[in-house]
Amino acid sequence: MSTQALLSSALAGIVILECGDERGEFAGVLLAGLGADVIRLEGKHGSNSRRLGPFTTPDHDPEHSLCFSRYNLGKKSVSLDVDHPAAGEVLGRLAARADVIIDSGEADAVARRLERYREMQRANPRLIICTFTPFGLDGPYRDLKMTDLTHLALGGVMASCGYDPRPDGIYDTPPIAPEMWQAYHIAGEYAVISITAALNFRELTGEGDCIDLSIHEAVSTCTEVAIPTYIYGGAVVRRQTGRHAAENRTRPWLRRARDGRYVKAFLFWSGHEARVIGEMLTEAGIEHDLNSEEYRELRRRSPSEAHDHFSAMVDKLVASLTAEEVYHRAQAKGLLWASVRYPEENIDDPHFQDRGTFQPIDHPELDRSLNYTVSVATDGKNRAMEFAHGAPHLGEHTQEVLSQAGFSAAEIAALAAHGAV
Amino acid sequence: MASAETARPRPLDGERVVDLTKIVAGPNATRMLATMGAEVIRVEWNDDRALDLLRAIRPLAPGGDPHSLNRSGLFNNINTGKYGITLNMNHPQGRDLFKRLVEKASVLCENYSPRQMERWELGYDVLSKINPRLIYLQISGMGKSGTYDAYVSVGPTAQALSGLTHMSGLPEPMPPAGWGYSYLDHSTGYYGAIAVLAAILRRRRTGLGCYIDLSQTETGLMVSGTAALQAQLTGHHTARHGNRMQAADWAPHGAYPCRGTDEWIAIAVQNDAQWAALAAELGAPEWTRDSRFASAAGRKANEDDLDRLMAEATKDAERYDLMNRLQRRGVPAAAVQKADDRCERDPQLKSRGYFVPLPQSEMGTWNIEGFPAKFAKIPVDVGGPPHRGAPMLGEDSDAIYRELLGLSPEEIATMREELVI
Repeated sequence: MSTQALLSSALAGIVILECGDERGEFAGVLLAGLGADVIRLEGKHGSNSRRLGPFTTPDHDPEHSLCFSRYNLGKKSVSLDVDHPAAGEVLGRLAARADVIIDSGEADAVARRLERYREMQRANPRLIICTFTPFGLDGPYRDLKMTDLTHLALGGVMASCGYDPRPDGIYDTPPIAPEMWQAYHIAGEYAVISITAALNFRELTGEGDCIDLSIHEAVSTCTEVAIPTYIYGGAVVRRQTGRHAAENRTRPWLRRARDGRYVKAFLFWSGHEARVIGEMLTEAGIEHDLNSEEYRELRRRSPSEAHDHFSAMVDKLVASLTAEEVYHRAQAKGLLWASVRYPEENIDDPHFQDRGTFQPIDHPELDRSLNYTVSVATDGKNRAMEFAHGAPHLGEHTQEVLSQAGFSAAEIAALAAHGAV
Repeated sequence: MASAETARPRPLDGERVVDLTKIVAGPNATRMLATMGAEVIRVEWNDDRALDLLRAIRPLAPGGDPHSLNRSGLFNNINTGKYGITLNMNHPQGRDLFKRLVEKASVLCENYSPRQMERWELGYDVLSKINPRLIYLQISGMGKSGTYDAYVSVGPTAQALSGLTHMSGLPEPMPPAGWGYSYLDHSTGYYGAIAVLAAILRRRRTGLGCYIDLSQTETGLMVSGTAALQAQLTGHHTARHGNRMQAADWAPHGAYPCRGTDEWIAIAVQNDAQWAALAAELGAPEWTRDSRFASAAGRKANEDDLDRLMAEATKDAERYDLMNRLQRRGVPAAAVQKADDRCERDPQLKSRGYFVPLPQSEMGTWNIEGFPAKFAKIPVDVGGPPHRGAPMLGEDSDAIYRELLGLSPEEIATMREELVI
């Protein structure tokens, strides 16, 4: 299962049973990327994510969901319905050989299954259980219905993201939830931190553990300065276009380049910055007065006006070049600027090609492969994470996994006849 | 180096982390390691080039010396649970001491610009000879290997490049809203912690240390979901969709205004039953019976009108009251909470003990954002081994130089006088 990649060998030999709905799938895919043998118990009808788009074929075939394939790379699929009355024996035998059970979903359903997991843990004390629910397994909000959007709202992310208010201070656009399941990403990352910590704990003690993860709390930790600004200063940050939410209005960062694309060009008002931006203006053939005595005098006399003037010169500079030209020229001068790229533009970028950030995964239904982000690091030379294979077909590994757990062909057929697989 | 002993073992007992990180991304990683029981030693120096800017950044704890470097609330929140020493890395003797620290450590984390450690002749090739079991986590904006190894980055840079800025906001022609904070400083911290936890597990099993070259931009790509896949499939660049759901016909799906100043509620209707419940809670106004909204596909196809009507219907409601009423009917809905709401009005965070009061030596005791999971056995503590907030600058220098490196009080005094420590 594991590959030669540095971090993809870290969890080699660790068997993880992943139950529940789509919320926990990102945790599972990261663990598969670290080399664990992740077995997705997705029921006869398959994971919810099989019915979420985009799809590679127009018929929305659950086998062709990119949502499922993105979040289930490298896993095995077993079509066991864990809530089926006949599933207990199967789950028990699987858990006897497993290291970790992850179960994601609404607290009520997960808590019901947790009783069985605890029995399994008594039989296999090295077992680590991780429940992954909207609010954890207790508290007044425990049973609220949530989605990624509502988590980003309640957890504070949306309050910091969006657009500037009108000049009179009134917001006429809504707070924004950044796209692509970010609440589940954040919580999934915390789940992996928790599970790898528990595996380390087990190395020291021989004991498993039971982890009760709250998506709401995970999202809440992820708002940077918002909470300290309130705790220490009693102030609330306000959202602004394309830059950090702040207690007081700050100057814009986003600027439009010649090709209509955006550049994130923020200014720290340092001497180095003024000098190199002056150089860039000169190199772009734009007359400027940033080295003049008049400008220096303006800085002394009226810093705010000087900032406005300087910022206008930066606007002019950015507008004279393409976004990518601005990015590379600014970086060559040590400025922290970047072009606002589409994510897919990085696939052909030589930097990420050198690092092996993307791994081609075969899509037979398309008769081609698609490049997936698989790694966030290298070992100095090669990517540190990769996947031995793509996402599984529904139930692709049912026979294999149940056979390894000691079920005969006849027993597997009986389970199928009872509707458990 | 007083440590608040806990009776039970912690996952990272015996691990000593030399922490050369600054600002947010790196310190977030080492915060997680301290939470799991590692002895994290922040190595800092107080001059214009070396000082962690976060020490001087607002919000500051009220009272006390406003120029103190020990009163930043954000620094306290992110560096909780660590020890702190001063060490001048630009002094040859300082680098010698640093090597002695590395010899006694098991992990090194740093997030300087990518070539800095080599300039000091302290690359992995050198340090791994001093300590072959060392796990060296290097965090940089783009990643050390690859064509952009000299490029510099902060969170917003990586967010722009990875596509996350583009994928947050209302559709064009509106500009991207982006993230209102350095989301990728959080994420990179999580991946840094995951990488080190996985590498420690690997080393505990194999005895092998390693070098990990973590890229902040790659973490952005890892959380960019299915966007780049869809773009490869369709040949069209990734679009922006505001708060609307693209993976399924979920509508209404957005943030809608409520009574008060800049108060909003997020509502996500996933199916016909939730739509019927929402309509009933709104008093079944005539527009909810419009045939265009009778099916999920119809609601999705007419989302502009639906959102306009929803905004009219919610604008006089109190956001928590509407949230509670909708939740009672099983409709996913949540108030868009700001920081004050989460601190003062979120019964769930309160009930779960999310905020953890921890003492800091100059500021006194303040609430720190906690870890979002409860463990049955592992004594997870954001206060780390010292069970306290962030260290004051150099707070533990004497103890660590004396107890860990065996320096005499005279040697410490001389080195301090010579600006080595």
